[in-house]
Amino acid sequence: MIHVKNLTKYYGDFLAVGGVSFDVLKGQVVGFLGPNGAGKSTTMRILAGFLTATSGQVTIDGIDVFWDPVAVRRRIGYMPESCPLYPEMRVVEYLTFRAGIKGIHGSLRAKRVDECLNRCWLGEVRSQIIGTLSKGYRQRVGLADSLLADPAVLILDEPTAGLDPTQIRETRKLIRELGTRHTILLSTHILSEVEMTCDQAIIINRGKVALAGPLEDLRSKNQTLEEMFIKLVDREESALAGG
Amino acid sequence: MIFPVGDFIMQEIAFIESTQPSVFAKIIAIALGAVIFVVACYLAHGLYNARTLLRREFSAYFLSPIAYVLFVVFLAVTGYLFHRTFDLLTTAGPKGTEFPMQAMFADERFWLVFLFIPPILTMRLFAEERSTGTLEMLMTAPLLDWQVVLCKYLGCLGFYVVLWLPTLCYLPALLGWHALELHAPSGFASFVFLLGVFIFIAGVALQFPLNLEPFWRLSGLLMVVSGLVIGILGGMYHFQSDGLHLINFQSEIDPLPVLSTYLGMFLAGAMFLSIGILVSSLVKDQMVSALIAMGLSLLFLVAGFWRPEQDGGLFYRTLYFFSVPLHFERSFTRGIFDTRPIILYVSTAFFCLFLTVRSLESRRWR
Repeated sequence: MIHVKNLTKYYGDFLAVGGVSFDVLKGQVVGFLGPNGAGKSTTMRILAGFLTATSGQVTIDGIDVFWDPVAVRRRIGYMPESCPLYPEMRVVEYLTFRAGIKGIHGSLRAKRVDECLNRCWLGEVRSQIIGTLSKGYRQRVGLADSLLADPAVLILDEPTAGLDPTQIRETRKLIRELGTRHTILLSTHILSEVEMTCDQAIIINRGKVALAGPLEDLRSKNQTLEEMFIKLVDREESALAGG
Repeated sequence: MIFPVGDFIMQEIAFIESTQPSVFAKIIAIALGAVIFVVACYLAHGLYNARTLLRREFSAYFLSPIAYVLFVVFLAVTGYLFHRTFDLLTTAGPKGTEFPMQAMFADERFWLVFLFIPPILTMRLFAEERSTGTLEMLMTAPLLDWQVVLCKYLGCLGFYVVLWLPTLCYLPALLGWHALELHAPSGFASFVFLLGVFIFIAGVALQFPLNLEPFWRLSGLLMVVSGLVIGILGGMYHFQSDGLHLINFQSEIDPLPVLSTYLGMFLAGAMFLSIGILVSSLVKDQMVSALIAMGLSLLFLVAGFWRPEQDGGLFYRTLYFFSVPLHFERSFTRGIFDTRPIILYVSTAFFCLFLTVRSLESRRWR
């Protein structure tokens, strides 16, 4: 479903992503892991079509992100990091607006908005102004927004960041539920989250894929994901220090 | 002296019919018209697909306090200028004015306020979205860059037009209108005209309800267009052939300067707004965006504050090319449709919008 080959992105002289390659098959939930500044958000932004890669190829559902960005954007639901929204709009207004932008009009739009509101437990705040919502509710509005067009692929950049423990549990439950219908790529810092929600994990560090594979394979080596992650990051650090 | 409005239009029609353009000029005009029509259809189709964004960009102005502040300041200043012009029109003796629109809109106080209006309207368009990060949501939606730019621009231009609407109520007094005479429809053409108006209004009404099926929305748009065509054709025929007009009004002062002033204000505003939107797409801070846009606008407005010697020398003629207040003083407020400033405004607007699309595109590469 998502096919990334030798993806490279420079910001000026700074190498943010250096030759990342991975594949996500249809119906998988994939966790995208890595320390701060590893290039997770940059990669996701390129997948969503917000940035253009310096080199490399990304195809989603067989369509190249570079050559047909609009067709790709119709097939993905993207939730950016920290979830920016228009604070002066009401929740239901915002979702109606986003649905219209995504090309859903007429009575289908009202139906889809209601569905997504219920799906993300936003029923009781539907006519509240977004500026007055708590962080958790805002994240849910962002998630509802990404679900509006019922896209085949969901790209979620840190969907559980800044939530309280109950909300995190609910969001994880929702992601597991969504995983039965959509292909999901989600980034996170929390390693236990990946173990709970994902089928596969991709760990990147310093703009390179350090480890990728199904969780069962990673687990079978008799260590937790956290141990592996720390080992990987440490090894790179010491290699750099030594070299 | 009484100026019947209809006579002016009849004179214009007679003038256009009396000129005989060459065949070559006709072919060029038709080809140009066809190209513009095709481009306009393409843009209109893109806008129709992005109509939700257009609606949000327009209505966002009414959700922000800054627009209301602007409204109050703008109306206070034009109201004061109206008061002054009205005094000039009614004083006895040699101190009057020949062109009331000139007394109102060729005044440096007006241009001082006008300097601030377009930059304040456009400063938030892209700068705010970038600083809060919502631009990322917008740019990952299935829309092309030019659709985003055009929707934002037209929403802003729409608000600018709304800003000018209340000033229409000064006109009856400024032109010395006599009371409107209304007559019952008589003759075929007047019924055609009324039918066109009715279809147009029904089509506009169909655009308002939310969550309407696209079929009805599209047929509403078709009704707007066909209503316009039927109304204009019926109206023209009614105007030319029927003895008693549905609405009849006469004014004591030449009404054409009003038309040319409002057209000029619309186009000049379109130019300044496009400069503002370009600056807004380049910087991240709203305040910086407004200030830079004001600086650039000042280039076009400087002759409004610092009056050059009107000696017809090279310097003055060069300055005249890009001095909006001079264009208004010399031509628009006197009822002259000078094509030189019109071409300047329209081409600058298109150029700045083009650069805005490119500047937005380049963000993806950096």
